[in-house]
Amino acid sequence: MILRDFFDIEAVKLDLEGETKDEVLKELIGLLGLDDKSEGILFKMLKRRENLGSTGIGNGIAIPHCRSLVVNRLRLAFGRKPDGVDFKAIDDRPVRDFFLIVAPPLEVSNQYLPVLGKIAQFAKEPDVPEQLGQLETPEDFLALLEAKSI
Amino acid sequence: MDAQLEILLQIQDLKGQRRGLEEGRSERQVEEEAFNLRVDEALTGLDEKIDQVMEELDPGVRRRYDRLAGGIDRAVVPVINGVCYGCFVSVATSVASDPAERAKLRNCDHCGRFLYFLD
Ligand SMILES: [Zn+2]
Repeated sequence: MILRDFFDIEAVKLDLEGETKDEVLKELIGLLGLDDKSEGILFKMLKRRENLGSTGIGNGIAIPHCRSLVVNRLRLAFGRKPDGVDFKAIDDRPVRDFFLIVAPPLEVSNQYLPVLGKIAQFAKEPDVPEQLGQLETPEDFLALLEAKSI
Repeated sequence: MDAQLEILLQIQDLKGQRRGLEEGRSERQVEEEAFNLRVDEALTGLDEKIDQVMEELDPGVRRRYDRLAGGIDRAVVPVINGVCYGCFVSVATSVASDPAERAKLRNCDHCGRFLYFLD
């Protein structure tokens, strides 16, 4: 299992426009191409997870995640907001890089937790924030995942 | 999508998250270690949220939901490729192929679970 295989190029956006936590969450959800109702349900669920504790894990990176019935397989998205937004992160710093992870509640392939764990591990590597900052195209993002062979 | 169905999906999502945190040892571990989540507090928070969202159900839907949820693990299930993922029996094509029918609140003719349609 390598992370690269879980990302569609359409679900990578390097110039997020949202200025608030909610706006960024909505924009990330929008990358998955779901219908409006499903987007609304997913937003509520992600917000509820954030209310339990921020998924901003420090170093300018957040990993909003949840299980939801509105997806039928594991879905991932990556977004970058160059100036960052306040995400109530653990280190109180603004968040610039966002990995969105959504999986159905009963997921036959059981990939959700390994993927969540891998991304969390990736995000904590010291050189990753700088490398994410240097990305110029969505293809660069996928290439970075490949280069890291995670 | 029917408004009551939307609420049912929210309830089921919350319960799914709760179940993952409570029963899934690795899920608890990832949430605690990678995200510093206080899982016991989170479970209490989820319980409160579930109760709150349940209040939004119409009494008739609530009764039906309670009856179902009391006897089976999942009271709301997807229909994928025309098949109910609660009992794996096909849903009538006239329903599965009609967007207006798919958006309604309905139960599986075979197992009684609430259905929502996924492509
Ligand atoms: Zn059924």
